[in-house]
Amino acid sequence: MIKLLHILKKEFLLIIRDIHAVAVLFIMPAVFIMIMSLAMRDLFELHGTVAIDVLAVNQDAGKKADAFLKSLEELSTFRFRFIEKNTDMENIREQMLSRDYKFALIIRENFSAFVDKKGKGKDERPLELLVNPTVNVQTQMVLKSALDGKLTKLRWDAFIDRIDRLLAVAGIDKKKLKADEESPIQVNYIHKGGRYDKIPSAVQQSVPAWLVFSMFFIIIPISNTFISERGQGTLMRLKSMNVSRAYLIFGKMVPYFIINAIQVIIMIAIGMYVVPFCGGTALTLGESLGGLVLIAAAVSFCAISMALFIASAARTTEQATTIGGVLNIIFGALGGLMIPKFVMPGVMQDIADISPMSWGLEGFLDIFLRNGGISDVLSKSLALFVFGFMMLTLTTILLWKQKEV
Amino acid sequence: MIEIKHLYKSYDKKPVLKDVNLTVRRGSVMGLLGPNGAGKTTLISILTGIINKDSGSVTVDGLNLDRELRTIQSKCSYVPQSFAFYPRLTARENLEYFGALWGLRGRKLKERMDFCIDIGSMQSFVDKRAEKFSGGMKRRLNLAIGLLHDPEIVYLDEPTVGVDTQSRGYILATIKKINRERRATMIYTSHYMDEIEQVADDIAVMNEGTIIVHDDTQAILSRAGATCGPGNLEELFLKLTGTRLRDEE
Repeated sequence: MIKLLHILKKEFLLIIRDIHAVAVLFIMPAVFIMIMSLAMRDLFELHGTVAIDVLAVNQDAGKKADAFLKSLEELSTFRFRFIEKNTDMENIREQMLSRDYKFALIIRENFSAFVDKKGKGKDERPLELLVNPTVNVQTQMVLKSALDGKLTKLRWDAFIDRIDRLLAVAGIDKKKLKADEESPIQVNYIHKGGRYDKIPSAVQQSVPAWLVFSMFFIIIPISNTFISERGQGTLMRLKSMNVSRAYLIFGKMVPYFIINAIQVIIMIAIGMYVVPFCGGTALTLGESLGGLVLIAAAVSFCAISMALFIASAARTTEQATTIGGVLNIIFGALGGLMIPKFVMPGVMQDIADISPMSWGLEGFLDIFLRNGGISDVLSKSLALFVFGFMMLTLTTILLWKQKEV
Repeated sequence: MIEIKHLYKSYDKKPVLKDVNLTVRRGSVMGLLGPNGAGKTTLISILTGIINKDSGSVTVDGLNLDRELRTIQSKCSYVPQSFAFYPRLTARENLEYFGALWGLRGRKLKERMDFCIDIGSMQSFVDKRAEKFSGGMKRRLNLAIGLLHDPEIVYLDEPTVGVDTQSRGYILATIKKINRERRATMIYTSHYMDEIEQVADDIAVMNEGTIIVHDDTQAILSRAGATCGPGNLEELFLKLTGTRLRDEE
């Protein structure tokens, strides 16, 4: 046990003194998470819980405008920020650009007259939407449809109110004719291998994706220490000291397992506290700590075993880091880490399933996004453990053949 | 005493050791000479249990290498030609790590570390990272690690390669001191004939996997003098092993 503690201490000292490894393991994913969570926020926000801020001016004093505003609060995708009703167009434009609003909605003073079909301006357009040119057409259409829907409902209800007496004479309950409060359309997201009830937000995609990616980059410090141990004759010395192969492999795995665990904690903390501090949304963890621990342990075991295999097969550190780096990037690109799996065409989603990184990412998404538990991540964790054991077996065979450990 | 009888070893059907027979007296320093590829490192690797032999027998102080490898390994130490330690650790951290792997604990570990720091004359740089050491400092640390558990047998594989004259002299003196004071048996490989003359009680010359000469140093020096002129061990070595280059083998 004391031997093992000294092996662990040695490995930790080697890792923390390897500035490149620390950069790759901690700084790279942290920076990626920050950049991707903030840069891709707009791409993901229509899917997720992120609300787009809309600058709004209500120039109408009527009750119908108030009712319209109240109905807008139901739109979770958009958040309306009201400013002074007398704000002129120049000022609105300035506020839009300076505060980075994508839309400004002007409820004109004829709004109530338009809804009630009486009074001045009853035939003029009652809403004006100013759009930042950076906004894509789809997002514009979503807001425009939402506003159309709310306005149509308001007009229909106003019409029903106008024919109130007629309905009473005909014996029709006007409440039954009012527009539905909720949309009758149920939306579900479908992808290969199952159904998403939710699509991740930028931070929900970025944190697990770059976390898994960085965990697999454990290849850098492992190959640095392992290959230099071999090249410098340290492994030979250890073998002459009767240090067992199990000790050496176990002694390599445990410290990196702990390093991976620290990565998980730090990257989750960044998603929960740093990203929202910088203007993104906060990462939500789900409710299964057990599931999170299981999938994190499985990813870690798989990543370390694969790194040990590559380090054993390679002759030089450069070879190991190149092969490992390229494999990681390919697995990452295939596995939906760089481009979310749900935007991939079906064929690519099928191909993504061959990447162990995809199993890990889906496992984390099960926990963070779909509120899954241990049973939900069990199959992915098992796949990662089996893959890891295969790599470890190949490593042992390779080392035995090389007669170096 | 180390007794090697009819030792064979081959890699990919290519014989590396062919019927090696050698006896190393207890408490002596055996200088093992041979050109590149002669089989010196393979022989030491077998004696230290790093690789397995194909056939033959090895006994160390009466212990059979096949049956009692662990006991033999606990008495031995191997100082490889390469710097077999961790450059990113300090000398003290390296000593502590390898000492702990030898099973040393607490006060015993500290005593042995102090001894090794002293014997390697490392007091002034013991807390610096090994990657910043000069060649001589690295060689002294490499040797000191090999002496941590007070071994009865030390295998030294070219322990003075790439060091300046001062460090070389210091290392040779240290080896003699350990041999004299601790009565440690040593097998010392080197390409430097003058080193072997200085430290070895006996000399064995290997060539193409076999021992071609084995005698005490004085006898071999006398033979060299008679054959090639006074004290000319290098000439004798070339005469025995030939002038063919072995680097590409």
